[in-house]
Amino acid sequence: MSRHPRRVRRTLALVASAALLALVTACSNSSAGTGGGNGGGDPVAVRQGGAIVIGAEAEPDCADWLGTCAGSIWGSYTMKEATVPVAFVVRKDGDHWVPKASDLLAGEPTTQATGGTQTITYKINPAAVWSDGTPISAEDFKYTALQVRDGKDIFDKTGYDKIASIATPDPKTVVLSLKEPYAGWQQLFSSGYGVLPAHLLAGKNRGALLKDGYTWSGGPWLIESWKRGTSVTLVPNPKYWGAKPKLDKVTFQFIADTAAAFQALKSGQVDALYPTPQLDALSQIAAGIPNTKSEVDAQTGNLEAIWLNNARFPFDSQAVRQALAYSIDRKAVVNRLFGSIGVKQPAQSFFTPILDTYGDAAFGEYELDLDKVESLMTGDGWTKNGSGIWAKGGKPAAFAVETLAGNKRRDLTLQILQAQLAKAGFTMTVHNTTPADLFGKTAPNGDFQAGLYTLIDTFPDPTLSASFASSSIPSEANGFSGINFGRVNIAGLDPVLAEMDRELDPAKRIEASKKADQLLADAVPAVPMDALPNVLLWSTKLGGPIAINPSEGPFWNLNEWGLAK
Amino acid sequence: MLTYAVRRILFSLPIVLVASFVLFVAVRATFDPLGKLRQSRDPEVLQRETERLGLNKSVPEQYLLWLKGIVTGNWGVSTRTGGDVRSLIGSALWPTLQLVFWGVLFAMLIAAFVSVYSAVRQYSAGDHVLTALSYVGIALPAFWFGLVLIQLLAVLPRQKLGLSDPPLYFVGLHSPGSSGFDLDYLRHLVLPVLTLTITLVASWSRFGRASMLDALSSDYVRTARAKGVPRRQVILRHAARNSLAPFLTVVALDAALLFGGLVVTEQIYSIPGMGRLFLDSLLAGDVFVLLPWMLVVAVAVVVCNLIADLSYALLDPRVRLR
Repeated sequence: MSRHPRRVRRTLALVASAALLALVTACSNSSAGTGGGNGGGDPVAVRQGGAIVIGAEAEPDCADWLGTCAGSIWGSYTMKEATVPVAFVVRKDGDHWVPKASDLLAGEPTTQATGGTQTITYKINPAAVWSDGTPISAEDFKYTALQVRDGKDIFDKTGYDKIASIATPDPKTVVLSLKEPYAGWQQLFSSGYGVLPAHLLAGKNRGALLKDGYTWSGGPWLIESWKRGTSVTLVPNPKYWGAKPKLDKVTFQFIADTAAAFQALKSGQVDALYPTPQLDALSQIAAGIPNTKSEVDAQTGNLEAIWLNNARFPFDSQAVRQALAYSIDRKAVVNRLFGSIGVKQPAQSFFTPILDTYGDAAFGEYELDLDKVESLMTGDGWTKNGSGIWAKGGKPAAFAVETLAGNKRRDLTLQILQAQLAKAGFTMTVHNTTPADLFGKTAPNGDFQAGLYTLIDTFPDPTLSASFASSSIPSEANGFSGINFGRVNIAGLDPVLAEMDRELDPAKRIEASKKADQLLADAVPAVPMDALPNVLLWSTKLGGPIAINPSEGPFWNLNEWGLAK
Repeated sequence: MLTYAVRRILFSLPIVLVASFVLFVAVRATFDPLGKLRQSRDPEVLQRETERLGLNKSVPEQYLLWLKGIVTGNWGVSTRTGGDVRSLIGSALWPTLQLVFWGVLFAMLIAAFVSVYSAVRQYSAGDHVLTALSYVGIALPAFWFGLVLIQLLAVLPRQKLGLSDPPLYFVGLHSPGSSGFDLDYLRHLVLPVLTLTITLVASWSRFGRASMLDALSSDYVRTARAKGVPRRQVILRHAARNSLAPFLTVVALDAALLFGGLVVTEQIYSIPGMGRLFLDSLLAGDVFVLLPWMLVVAVAVVVCNLIADLSYALLDPRVRLR
């Protein structure tokens, strides 16, 4: 699954993912995980040693996790998470996913906001060392922070652009000073970038050094080899200070074809799969796969939506946007797409399920209601023409939806929508495009009416300013760097979003985010659509606590995986 | 023959040059070389790269710069991977070359046999069966047929026979940790080569049959028969040998196009060859890979045609290479 750069660690997925408000966990076959992700599922005792092969549906282009390759989710799964230490990990606490200090740190960092600034102090675990034996030090934090803040061609500078200074009073202490309070400070040195080894990279061309992988590690695994187009092989890092891997070797084999990947699982050529839930994959899962366990987890960080260009006809009218939301039977769409695996509820907020404490399901008010469509459209001066299509000033309510070619699930989604919208008096056409065109040209230039694509939250931190703050509208002023592609500019929303980004008090932050959720639902800048759960399948020969972590993916605890006893 | 080969290569150079220019203009008109960078938050990066890559120059100037790089071995850097384009294409060419070699070799042998058999026994039951099968083969889409073969020859045998491993593999050309020409390689090779071979045999056998029928009805065959030359000798030494020349032309053209045309086969069998490289580069809009890739395929067409021309002289004593 490839991803698109997005500030605040939200991501536009080029393939698929979506949101659900309710946690839905479905299991199949002989047993399954629970969606726990924190050692969830029924742990199966494992033996020491052995090798497994995992099917990976995409290959990263490079291994420079600060540059554009930071957007490769499979790069993260196959190499980054296994080798790059992070300050915070995401673990389940009750029903919610929360950041927790990792074993890279000696304890929870302390943070203090004074006089409009914020200071964070990290104490590094004395046992933490790189694979060459060099201690992980404050200099590594400093190198990473400054590379991101000051570097060129950086994937995402969110949070790091607030760094005023970074002090290293001793080799194991880092004091980070921010120019202003940053509520999402736990993301720093965490899921996005982690911490890179200064003693190996400082003063060198990082991109060139990391383009084909690397031999160092600060995690439980070392990259033994990366054969382009074929596989990545991991072996245990003997210097890792935490729990050592049970397996001797893990190979991620790149299998781009979903049908072939399922056959590889059935034939025993791969031992686990984490497929994008496309239609063919869903039908295979629903049919059952012998000797395989599975987990279907709908508490994800994914949100698929119809993103509307609020500055282009016909969606420059709030009434039309609201009418559109009332024209769609989103439950029917979700049920058609994912009903077979037990996922039936549409997304009702722009906060993804892993951020459900921050949302208020404000979009729940929009259900199929053609009377309301009629009332809104006529109230806005529209009348139906001879073909039953709304028209105003001689222009019909017709629009094109940009979508990425080759995604069958989205094709089906759009087919259903076309039929539903035609009944409501809208004409929708589909325009297939490529990721490079859509996210490189069409969307930044605002040269679209609507688009169907996905956001992914990779950290449980609520912020919507990148998507909806007026300052994030791509423009010459910000070097076309904003990703408020829909040109959303809702009265009263900007200060609320800013408060969400600054407020360090969790209760006040939740209050602000719920307010933002309601403002967004009222203005309908986009329509949150379908639920796309995460799916993990693994052979019964595997054991250990195997479960999906919606933030870090299914391989977050690969060191605990093994061959069943 | 050497003189002929050298002359043909020299004659081919202008063709390759013209083709490369047309490709260059077409690709530049279709793709934005800086497409990926337009998402960058660094406002200076576009200007910097425009100047570095010479995109502010005229198209002929850009073409000459690019051509100079190709000739001197500097094929550029992929915007997708940041890697050297020559290495990328080189490493993708090798797996494809293996598939093409084995696929074309087996397909040629089988198609030649089927062609001769069908022509000699025209309208027999065997000819009808082979004709029907060839139409089925032509109609089979590779993406579907490949999956059927995987199911029938790898997944089902393992499940039905309770094997720990499938008898044939279908992910890549080697299992993790293995390399070289061994049993593991052969077990990986069978299914993709079979997919390719069956598709090729289906179309080549139809062409070969028609070519063989032409030869069988020609005057020299009638003369040979009238002179009492044994039937087997007439078929193999006179008719088959002469019918092979046009057959080889088709084989050469198809084989050359296979260098870039195995997208589906390589995708299904997870083989990192030229087809997958093309697909990945196309989706990423990586013009710095696409252009040399197309040039390599164009050169492959020229080389394969040269091989076909040279083989005419070996097959047909009337052909003299000058």
